Amino acid sequence: MSTKTKILELKNINKRFGTVQALKDVNFELTKGEIHGLLGENGAGKSTLMNILYGLYNKDQGQIILREKVIEINSPLDSIKNGIAMIHQSATLVSEFTAVENLVLGMQRSKLNLNFKEEKKEILKLQEEFGLKFPLDIKVKNLSAGLKKKIEIVRAIYRNSSILILDEPTTALIEEEFKQLLSSLKKMVSDGLTIIFITHKIKEVLQACDRATVLTDGIIQGTLNTKNANKEDLVNLMFKDQKIDINASAIPLIELPKTNKTKEPVLSIEELTTKSNKKDKINLVDLNMEIYGGEIFGIAGISGNGQKELAEVIIKPDNIVKGKIKLKDKVLNGLSTVEIFDLRVFYIPEDRKRESILGQGDIKDNILLGHQRESRFQKSNILRWDKVKEAAKETIDHYQVKTPDENKEIEKLSGGNIQRVVIGRALLNDLDLLVTHSPTAGLDISSVKFIFEKIIELRSKKTAILYLNEDLDELIEISDRIGVIYEGRLVEIYTREQFNKHKIGSKMIGG
Amino acid sequence: MTKSTEDIKQKRTLWQKIIDQLKPYLLALFIAFFISGIIIGLLGYNIFNAYQTMLFTTFYSRRGFIETLIKFIPLTFATYAFAVPFKIKFFNIGGLGQMLFGATMTAIVGIALAKYNLSSLILIFVLILVALFAGAFLALIAGALKAYYNINPIISTIMLNFIALYFVNFIATTAPWKEPFSGHPMTKKIPEAAILPKLFNQIHFGIIIVIISIFVIYFLMNKTVLGYEIKATGLNPTASSVYGIKMKNTLMVTFMLGGAMAGLGGGIEVMGVHLRLIEGFALTSGAQYGIFGVLTALLCQGNLLGVPVSAFFISILLVGADAMQRTLQVPVEVVFLTQAIIVLLIVIFRE
Amino acid sequence: MDLFTKVLTQIVSYTSIYTLASLGIIIGGRTGVFNISGEGIMLASASAGFIAAYQTGSWVMGFFIGALVGAIFGFILIYIHQSLKINQFILGITLIILGTGLSDLLYKSLIGIQLFAPEAPRVPVIKLPIISKIPIISAFFNQDVIVYFTYFAVIITYYIFYHTRIGLETRAIGEDPLAADVVGINVKLRRYIATIIGSMLIGLAGAYLTLAVTGTYTTNISNGRGFMAIAIAIFASWRPERAFLGALIFAAIEVISFQQQLGSSLFPYQFLLMLPFISVLIIMWLFRKKVEFPASLGKEYTRE
Repeated sequence: MSTKTKILELKNINKRFGTVQALKDVNFELTKGEIHGLLGENGAGKSTLMNILYGLYNKDQGQIILREKVIEINSPLDSIKNGIAMIHQSATLVSEFTAVENLVLGMQRSKLNLNFKEEKKEILKLQEEFGLKFPLDIKVKNLSAGLKKKIEIVRAIYRNSSILILDEPTTALIEEEFKQLLSSLKKMVSDGLTIIFITHKIKEVLQACDRATVLTDGIIQGTLNTKNANKEDLVNLMFKDQKIDINASAIPLIELPKTNKTKEPVLSIEELTTKSNKKDKINLVDLNMEIYGGEIFGIAGISGNGQKELAEVIIKPDNIVKGKIKLKDKVLNGLSTVEIFDLRVFYIPEDRKRESILGQGDIKDNILLGHQRESRFQKSNILRWDKVKEAAKETIDHYQVKTPDENKEIEKLSGGNIQRVVIGRALLNDLDLLVTHSPTAGLDISSVKFIFEKIIELRSKKTAILYLNEDLDELIEISDRIGVIYEGRLVEIYTREQFNKHKIGSKMIGG
Repeated sequence: MTKSTEDIKQKRTLWQKIIDQLKPYLLALFIAFFISGIIIGLLGYNIFNAYQTMLFTTFYSRRGFIETLIKFIPLTFATYAFAVPFKIKFFNIGGLGQMLFGATMTAIVGIALAKYNLSSLILIFVLILVALFAGAFLALIAGALKAYYNINPIISTIMLNFIALYFVNFIATTAPWKEPFSGHPMTKKIPEAAILPKLFNQIHFGIIIVIISIFVIYFLMNKTVLGYEIKATGLNPTASSVYGIKMKNTLMVTFMLGGAMAGLGGGIEVMGVHLRLIEGFALTSGAQYGIFGVLTALLCQGNLLGVPVSAFFISILLVGADAMQRTLQVPVEVVFLTQAIIVLLIVIFRE
Repeated sequence: MDLFTKVLTQIVSYTSIYTLASLGIIIGGRTGVFNISGEGIMLASASAGFIAAYQTGSWVMGFFIGALVGAIFGFILIYIHQSLKINQFILGITLIILGTGLSDLLYKSLIGIQLFAPEAPRVPVIKLPIISKIPIISAFFNQDVIVYFTYFAVIITYYIFYHTRIGLETRAIGEDPLAADVVGINVKLRRYIATIIGSMLIGLAGAYLTLAVTGTYTTNISNGRGFMAIAIAIFASWRPERAFLGALIFAAIEVISFQQQLGSSLFPYQFLLMLPFISVLIIMWLFRKKVEFPASLGKEYTRE
């Protein structure tokens, strides 16, 4: 931060998606050699703004000024030529290629062969210099999310980028990895790099950034110097109109009321070992756990360590080679999803759009999904649409879904409203067990709060809740107990009194 | 008062909706006929005579109309063959093979049962079942190959089409089925009792079977759990499977349903039109019903309610095409091509 | 020439049809565009190529027009897919139907129905010196120009795919178009180029049917070979060198079952004619676990 020259300026950027104004007259300034936080809630427009700078989206209006020259960016190639690099939230590497192949990909060099001897030398030098080690000749699909992040950062340096955009880089990392990464980034900055750091976590801004710009609903709220700002200043900028108690990780503060757990466990898993013939699936190994009624059992872990497999094996117990899954006294092994749902179990999957809803179906279609064979909705296989309609209307009322009626295509609703329908569907019947995977992902703060309330309400009704989440902050907030999953094994279980971010975090990477 | 004005308003918006819905179709038709007009003109024929024949032969005479209905029957069935599996985004190009196989089995079983002197009612009922099952069976092969071995149904159904084509030829040229002194490959006649009765001495009973099938398919797809599961799978296979709908079963059931329709279409052709299995019976106006079935289904974008409508429209063109070739010597392929262009344009304009 | 060599020579010639067509499908497929319209392109090119060669008296012209027709089909496919975001399979099916209709219409209206089917000039056969004297191998080098072109096409495609940057980038697009886009590769343009070049090869395969195999045009001359080419591309896991092998196998099955049909009355000949189609199903079943697909195959790519 020796020189204070302006390197980049975005002026009056506007962007519209259909009827939604994603960005409105956005102005943004970047000083050479800083780490600049771009802070805002999910859906505030941070990624949209940066994707415009990177050329993946086209702006409707506005100017991009780089080193005092107006430039046109219509594709990533334009931004690469201008020394801009971007690392997206999930890796944009060709998973069938090795790290070297990925690093070389797209580089404008005239040489024809794919030997990469010289390239490897150069890359090894960069790895050494910034302490970013990863294997060069292994296919990327076999590497962890943390290593992929390193590859992408080295790729940016390898291309002599002068501006690096990092979009939520910590999603797949734990605290330790993040700290490591941060020291590498600081070294790069001292070598002349400028960094834009997109995040929705106030804590990370305070930890990593020199300055921070806050964006809400596509509008810039202001820029702060983090040296003389504190948490409250940022919170006030981020949640101007909302009175929600918030901690440093952008999660509303809640209190878990005291409840009595049931005496007997609702769900018990004994020595569960699975073997899937699909290549990209993690196998669960000797997994033991019990969840009691009235308890929220959190599962912590780096994404892709078996969370999805654990959730799915409970509602679809196949591929089991050893062990048992029991609901109260009933063994679930071998039952179908429909049969298990009949035992007062329901599931809210992780990926809302892909796994949870029928996008082009209306709210009725979506309410019915998973309940279609229940006797209240069908009689000798003829559907009772009038009952479905009733249930849909009740859900809309009870969960305050903002929609004209139950015939609205669900994908036309906002993320928060879609998730309200999904939760309404899950809670249509009284439950003994709810399995839910990151139900708050990508939602705004008031929807997150609403979902927390519903889950706590369920807890007080003595439902057992299995709560899988990659966000440790959120788990610590809402769980009674947390189990850490690592490479398909449940390596440790902590009770609420024992919660410690550092300890749990190191377990998550196999420590 | 206010309520009635609201009613009117709603009706108006309904009309608006219908017009909006129809717009791309009308535009596509207009442009396609414009293009085919150029082709017909370049070939040196009178464009207006050609259009007139192509579009209105159906309505000029009773015979034209009956002719149209007779093409409408197999075409509707062939269209369902594609449209039903298309509900879950799978392509059954095997309508032709399933139709051929349905017809072949109907002929074989019909000839075999000749000696038992069954009553017409029973015989026709049995043969309808045979046709349904034969078509469903052939389609199930493709569905199961996809469900269990991930073999692309586009390829498997087309391979089965060729297999069915040679099978027809085998049956139609081999004793004991073949007609002994015929130059063209064909089987003996099916027994008298198996022939579908004629309504008003004009159109065979198949028309009633088609209408019943249209209702059955509609009911099945919209009012039953199975129909919902098919719809859900089509909208989002991943979510459906997460929530307990068995993808493999749905896949195979839709293929069987589609195949059963095609098979029935083939069986009805044997029982109602040719009264025997004739090689090439599924050919009409420059192509097979199988291909037209795909075209017709794409024309209505796989909308099951639209199937009879677009099948009737294509039947009009097919009858017109034949008349055009007969009276004006314009090659039928012109119409075939026009239809392909219409479908291409509709697909484009719908976006 | 003994019978064995004669049959083998014919097999190699048929291999060319299958290789060119499946190579065309593979090249498009490696950028994620699944071009299933091969049957339609082959039919249209067979007809158009024949007419061009017949009218001009030049086989070169025939192949040129054949490739051009292929290019036009490829352009229609990729243009409509990319600009209007329409499903590749639906477009492919429509193009098959379009090609089928076009082939007969062109022939009927430009050549007409004649008592004796007119013949077009055939592709000249070139016997390579020395090599064409070695038994067995000779069958591969006593062939027409297009067969030699096929060898060349397989080798050059293989080399480009696995030994050049362009190949690396092409494969990257097929695996993950977003990952290719963010490193500055023009995904759209590359998909255009690959689809059109691929379709030209399929067009050559179509023209080859009339200009080398039969010398005349008949309705539905490709008889499902455009679909078999898709099966070969899948069997080959979208690798050019394996596609050649697959083509050789299918050509052998086709030629041999045809020869058998002429020779014996042991088996109903219809079942021999079914054999190529049945073997497609069997081979796809046998290799179901070994096949790999480019991950983005058949999927559209848009940025927003």
